[in-house]
Amino acid sequence: MKDAVLRVAGLAAMLLCLATQPSHAQEELKIGGIGPLSGGGTAWGLALNRGVQMAVDEVNAAGGLKVGETTYKLRLVMLDDAYTATGGRTAADRLISLEKVKHIIGPIGSPAVLGALSATDPSKTLLFSDGFAINILKNDSHAAYNFRSIDTTIEFAPAMIQWLHKNHPEVKKVGMLGPNDATGQAVLPMLAGFYKANGIEVWTDSFDRGAQEFVPLITRMMAQGVDLFDLNSNSPVDAGLMLKQARQVGYKGLIWQVGGPSVAEIMSVAGPLAEGFLSLEMFDFSSPAGQKFAEDYHKQWAGIMNVQTPLWYNTAKILFEALRRAGSTDVDKVRASLIAAEGYDPGIIGPVIWGGQADYGVNHQLLVPFWIAGVKDGKEISLVKILPEKR
Amino acid sequence: MKPAGRVVIGCLVVLAAALPVIGANAFLLTVGTIVALNIIGATSLHLVIRTGHVSLGHAGFMGIGGYTAALTLTRLGWPFPLNIAAGAAAPALLALLIGPLLLRLQGKYFVLVTFLLGEILRLGFVQWSGLTGGANGIFGIPPPAPVFATPAAFYWLAFATALVCTALVARVLSGGIGRVIDSVRESERLALCAGVPVLQVKVGAFVQATALVGIQGGLTAHYLHYIDPGAFTSVQSLSFVVMNVIGGMSSLLGAVIGALFIVTLPELLRGYVEMQQVMFGVILIIVMAAIPGGLVELAARARQLAASLSGRAKRGRALSDRAART
Amino acid sequence: MFTLASIGQVLVNGASLSAIYVLVALGFTLLFGIMRVVNFAHGAFAMLGGYALYYFWGSFGVPYVIAVPLAAAFVAAVALIAERLVFRWFYQRMFQSLIGLLGLNLALVYSAVLVWDVYERSIPPAFAGLIEVYGLLLPTDRLMVICIALVVLALFWFFMTRTRHGLAMRATAQDLEIAETQGIDTVVTYRIAFLIAIFMTALAGALYAQIYSLSPFMGDRPLLVAFVVVILGGMGSIPGAALGGVILGFTESFLSTFYGASVSSFASFGVVIALLIVRPWGLLGIPETARA
Repeated sequence: MKDAVLRVAGLAAMLLCLATQPSHAQEELKIGGIGPLSGGGTAWGLALNRGVQMAVDEVNAAGGLKVGETTYKLRLVMLDDAYTATGGRTAADRLISLEKVKHIIGPIGSPAVLGALSATDPSKTLLFSDGFAINILKNDSHAAYNFRSIDTTIEFAPAMIQWLHKNHPEVKKVGMLGPNDATGQAVLPMLAGFYKANGIEVWTDSFDRGAQEFVPLITRMMAQGVDLFDLNSNSPVDAGLMLKQARQVGYKGLIWQVGGPSVAEIMSVAGPLAEGFLSLEMFDFSSPAGQKFAEDYHKQWAGIMNVQTPLWYNTAKILFEALRRAGSTDVDKVRASLIAAEGYDPGIIGPVIWGGQADYGVNHQLLVPFWIAGVKDGKEISLVKILPEKR
Repeated sequence: MKPAGRVVIGCLVVLAAALPVIGANAFLLTVGTIVALNIIGATSLHLVIRTGHVSLGHAGFMGIGGYTAALTLTRLGWPFPLNIAAGAAAPALLALLIGPLLLRLQGKYFVLVTFLLGEILRLGFVQWSGLTGGANGIFGIPPPAPVFATPAAFYWLAFATALVCTALVARVLSGGIGRVIDSVRESERLALCAGVPVLQVKVGAFVQATALVGIQGGLTAHYLHYIDPGAFTSVQSLSFVVMNVIGGMSSLLGAVIGALFIVTLPELLRGYVEMQQVMFGVILIIVMAAIPGGLVELAARARQLAASLSGRAKRGRALSDRAART
Repeated sequence: MFTLASIGQVLVNGASLSAIYVLVALGFTLLFGIMRVVNFAHGAFAMLGGYALYYFWGSFGVPYVIAVPLAAAFVAAVALIAERLVFRWFYQRMFQSLIGLLGLNLALVYSAVLVWDVYERSIPPAFAGLIEVYGLLLPTDRLMVICIALVVLALFWFFMTRTRHGLAMRATAQDLEIAETQGIDTVVTYRIAFLIAIFMTALAGALYAQIYSLSPFMGDRPLLVAFVVVILGGMGSIPGAALGGVILGFTESFLSTFYGASVSSFASFGVVIALLIVRPWGLLGIPETARA
């Protein structure tokens, strides 16, 4: 309640003083940011915005980023892409032509990334994005100027499913309910393939995102006799509701999520019903670095921190280091410097490892370590740490 | 339209055409291209609105046009502009088939049914992944021709197409058919009694409108090198309606102004990162409350306001009072 | 195969969801029938109802049965500001209202994002158990929703058919000018209609947020469904909205359970379109020609 009141006061203050920025003595380097700041994907867009901003603030507080001869003050220019292709394209164009940006972090959704690429590739702008579509990296231009900074299904699913098969050999059939959007449609067939490769039968159905009443579909799934319910690429709250409703309807089998991750949100929605839930986890909240990051985050923002926040912070730190090592803002040099940054560790998740040659034809996928976590006695605990296979 | 008005419009058109030469930067051209493309859709919807029906499913037809153009190019190898022509024909065909059924419906029911139709079409785009690529769409659509690969060249293509399409609609509305259309909107029964083939007129307008918005779909696919169902949602359909209402439903110019306003306003508000959506909403409220007839009446309203402020209205009111008493 | 327990839950959940949809749809149809406004901000008021309950019940600990109507009443009272500032410019102006209220929706939703952040929250459950009835496992919270909704609907029906103000509202909906000549104060009538409509939608929003989750975007889905329900039932028809909500809620549940999600979506929309082509005034609306 108190922070809501503070926020309303802040809102009023903002309304009263849309003041101009004071001028800076130090030269400014603009870093572009694109993500959904409206519509359903806003949580991720804000995660990108805040994560990168935290990295920017850190660098500026230490005096700036020394690139070659100049020490720059960094500034993030964040634009909304509304999770659409046109939005990604317009935002990219605006950053490139109007803001004269040469290095962009984001977008997040596949349509937006593909839209942005149609502007960044011809203009030789560096793009460091997310997005589950394969052709973000596997395309005719061989991802010349773009990199992907977050693990996708191809990176984390095979190892997870293998682990499950070894540790829960009783699982014979998996049921998946996936959303009918770009990510869901890309991910579901992939996951089905990985399950089948481990000898597990698969049953799936897709639904139009927006509805939150899953009991009919869960009932239908249970009638198939599944012993594993995989929440796959569902949004945090949808996943939480699916778990809660499945337990309420009497489903007794294993529930886990090869996707997300959204453990905190699921625990918040499902309460005690989340006991025994397993999930992909992309950040170790219990490590000292993780705890410090969460503390720093909560100095500025209240509520649940979306797990993508530290991942984008990590991405930004890697980009800034590449800029520093390149000694220049020239995109070709920064690109080379990024690839050469293999082994550099921003200190929050792990060292830079590039991979993806076998799957995409080019090593522009950042391989980030991930965990399998579980909910035990109302708390999230890490079970095993896995590094994606470098292929 | 008054000669002064024509001259102003002519100048603005010339200015817009010269944009790549005087304005040069890629971002402005992007916005300009998107404005031009949306003008096609907004003006085509205007044609339907003039017959007295508001369609909330226009984006669905745009999607049919877009996917047809993309698929005939990538799968059948049809060259530009043949694939665009196919993109115009496909939605028009659908409109021809279901128009007679839907256009019998009264105003508000037509709105609602077209809304549902748009949703069904969108679901079709998402589900039929074998054909449309599903929610991930079709990637790697080449530019219409190598010459149109640069932002400036594509801008001129979009601009020219928008000009031709708008001129087409203007021609229809100003000719004899235009008066028939107006009569249908104003009083259907009277028009029917006077021997006007009301349903045919409405279907004709509907078919033409969907063909034009299909062209917008095809060109957009070429522009982004990509097509996905996310561009053809009810939000986009609603956008077309908003452009028309906020620009002014009484004239074609309203649709053009509306398209310009709705596409450029969010760009102007970008500076206020967190507040942009709120401000956009507030602006919509204020414009609609202050100028119910749409932006096209801005000039007229401004004159009224000036007149009332300068006291000329007092004389006018006295006159009308006297008239009312007699 | 399909157990009795799960079928029972499908039915109860379908009923509780229908109940929520009907409450939202009634408010929507009230505003259209009487003031001819298409309230695109309807979902936003549902969302505000959700946040109000979050504070009254979740933070202040007001007893649940009081907190729910209190939250709804609070939102309705605060909404009067919106009525004076925004709604009144658009009475009897359908198209302008569409755009203006769309703007209001944007303003409300994104202000909510600024105040409460995007992440979805849960309202602590009031009733968390399961009741066993003849082998069916029925969630208590859903049953409570059905009860509350039925009470509100009964009160609403009573108000509309048995009180003078209700009669005045129905008269105004039928013919504004004649109602005025009969001495009905339309300004007061509008205000009462507005309060009732927002009260019902905020109540529905509070219940919805309780069962599912709460976020600034929570209202989008109820708005969409209200739209479809009102079409199905007949724009401006109150029994129609009620019937439409029930039919849609149960059909979706039934089809999803036995045939999967996509069949359910296509079938629902397809049937509604077919119905409207054959019977455009909806299930219980009044054909235009029959009205004076």
